[in-house]
Amino acid sequence: MNKQAAMEIIKKAREKGQKALSEFEAKQVLAAYDIPVTREMIVEDQLQLKQAAAQIGFPLVMKACSADVAHKTENNLVRVDLRTSQEAGLAFAEISEQMPDGENSGVLVQEMVSGKRELVMGMTRDPQFGACVMFGLGGIFTEILKDIVFRKAPLAREDALDMMQEIRGRKILEAVRGMPAADTDLLAQMLIAVGQIGLDMEHVAEIDINPVILAGSRPVAVDALIVLA
Amino acid sequence: MESKADSNSTDQTQFDRIFHPENIAVIGVSSKGAGFGAGMFFALRAIGYEKDIFLVNPKGGSLAGQPIYKRIEDIPHGFDLAIITVTAGAVPGALEECRRKGAAAAQILSSGFRELNTDEGRALEEQVRQIARKGIRVIGPNCFGIYCPQSGLTVLPGADLSRKTGPVAFCSQSGGMAVDFANTGKSMGLAFSKIVSFGNGADLRETELLDYFGNDSQTGVINMYIEGVKDGEAFFDTLKNITQKKPVIIIKGGLSAAGSRAVLSHTASMGGSRVIWQSLLKQANAVQVNDMEEMARTTLAFTRLPARVFRQISVLGGGGALGVGAADAAETHGISIPAFEPGLRGQIEDLLPRPGSSAANPVDVANPYVRPEILEQVMELAAADKRIELQILITLFHHYKNFSALTGKPVREVTPYAELAERVEKVVQKTGKPVVVVLNNPKRGTDHMDVVEMIQEARQAFMQRQIPAFDSLNEAMEAIARVNQYYNTKGKANE
Repeated sequence: MNKQAAMEIIKKAREKGQKALSEFEAKQVLAAYDIPVTREMIVEDQLQLKQAAAQIGFPLVMKACSADVAHKTENNLVRVDLRTSQEAGLAFAEISEQMPDGENSGVLVQEMVSGKRELVMGMTRDPQFGACVMFGLGGIFTEILKDIVFRKAPLAREDALDMMQEIRGRKILEAVRGMPAADTDLLAQMLIAVGQIGLDMEHVAEIDINPVILAGSRPVAVDALIVLA
Repeated sequence: MESKADSNSTDQTQFDRIFHPENIAVIGVSSKGAGFGAGMFFALRAIGYEKDIFLVNPKGGSLAGQPIYKRIEDIPHGFDLAIITVTAGAVPGALEECRRKGAAAAQILSSGFRELNTDEGRALEEQVRQIARKGIRVIGPNCFGIYCPQSGLTVLPGADLSRKTGPVAFCSQSGGMAVDFANTGKSMGLAFSKIVSFGNGADLRETELLDYFGNDSQTGVINMYIEGVKDGEAFFDTLKNITQKKPVIIIKGGLSAAGSRAVLSHTASMGGSRVIWQSLLKQANAVQVNDMEEMARTTLAFTRLPARVFRQISVLGGGGALGVGAADAAETHGISIPAFEPGLRGQIEDLLPRPGSSAANPVDVANPYVRPEILEQVMELAAADKRIELQILITLFHHYKNFSALTGKPVREVTPYAELAERVEKVVQKTGKPVVVVLNNPKRGTDHMDVVEMIQEARQAFMQRQIPAFDSLNEAMEAIARVNQYYNTKGKANE
């Protein structure tokens, strides 16, 4: 764990007046707490894009990377499943074009994590109970099914495992339809870490990690939002 | 928000003076006998509080032959507890005088404080808090007081509450809930250690009371009705700590949907008070219930069943669709009803009337008039199955109404509930496995008030023998499931 690195990122963002971290920054904070995140890089031109693609490998996902664009999908600033340099180059041009004026801080190029099972993790500060960690079904199901539970931070390992047992869709974590059982130890570590970020960083107001995709058994944070206070 | 260091700290001795007061002063008593003050005086006398009760009213006079002092300082004796019922504006003055007299605590029944949501109300409550900090504990304002059957303290109205003491404690922000729970408990067979209605909770409130009950040797099960907590973190930590010692059953009032705070993330928008409360109560291993009847039933199970998990049970009795109904209820609550081995099944069937009966588990006795001695034998046999950890007996006493019609005798005379209660107690003693009774009664109309009354008497008969009785199979299983949930989690935490 590298708490210092995470604090540094948050400090810089606050100095710049950001209300939230960019996805790239948010992932760095999570990675500093040993939460597995997608391999990704920021690119500002086609040359950097080529290097990134070579390093990460196809298929790729590309997203606008701006702290002010919280909901990228709704703004059509995400391209997925890019399989060739040509597709990647075109996506880069389109995203750059559609970014709001003066907001262009690069395009995020990341590995495309494949897995059908999407989870959500998060942190909110309850006015009465302080930092609380959320776990539940992710992706579009988060809002539709609201199959989520909370625990007050700090979380014991038992708390984190209970959260996984408590959601209605708990079976999604088991071996199902040819997919292996989720690595619940790693999921527990991630939940504990999310709570720890809440306890360590008073300027982190809210966290959304959605989706956390199960790549086989291994959970990976694919998109993340960290709101600052 | 106040820090912990500011709050009034009270040791067990001071709590003893509050719940077992050596003399009481009622401040604000009308010589005409009307109002809360006089009401409290009469209630305390009716329930039989044995020590002195001093009365105060600036107009003086007397009530029921007892002098009314004009000023608190005129009271010739010390007193541990003051009951203040004067108008809100006069409360701080009265409280300060009680403090000077050396009272340990004051229950302030008067309203007209923070609950009015006015500057004046808030200011008055702040004054009360300031005086409390100087060393007198305050219960209220805007509350119904304390019920403690052992010492003879009672809430208002509570003149007719029981003096029987028991292991159940309850603290409630709502005075009405406190009175209702005391009455519900009484009619269901619960006996209380202490009930505290703390109203606005200007001083003494949920966290400290929870901690006190947690360490109170007379309290075995703690019940709480909470609308809001003052210090969420302190409450959570205390709750988590106390549930490791004894069960805490909670109704959280005012569970509104997601909060209205302006937030950006989905996590924060979905983390409204309802879902956070539910999750955190679970995290702390508190038992969350939705209403008072559920609370009473759950408490009944906790106080009458051994402290453990019951996974496999037998169900014996009759009534509509017993087999399917029992299986459905059991599945809903994570309990199983394992089928008996053919040998045991045969032994049980030999005892039961044919045809119609079935001893597969659930055991359907088919005939509602099977004699208690036969039921006793059947239950002993069923308990011999090593897997069975608890037995449920569904009684069919309402059918004796037909007997009553035939014989011309009152239904309570022809129904063998007393004998059955005795025999069930024997089964429990002999087998070491608890029995839960269901007093099934579909006859509740005005033409069957004799049946309703008889069922209530039957309940008493079982309760006196420490056998818990519920109105339906589903309610019984739900209560057992809550006991299971608590001890299961507690067991895991102690591993």
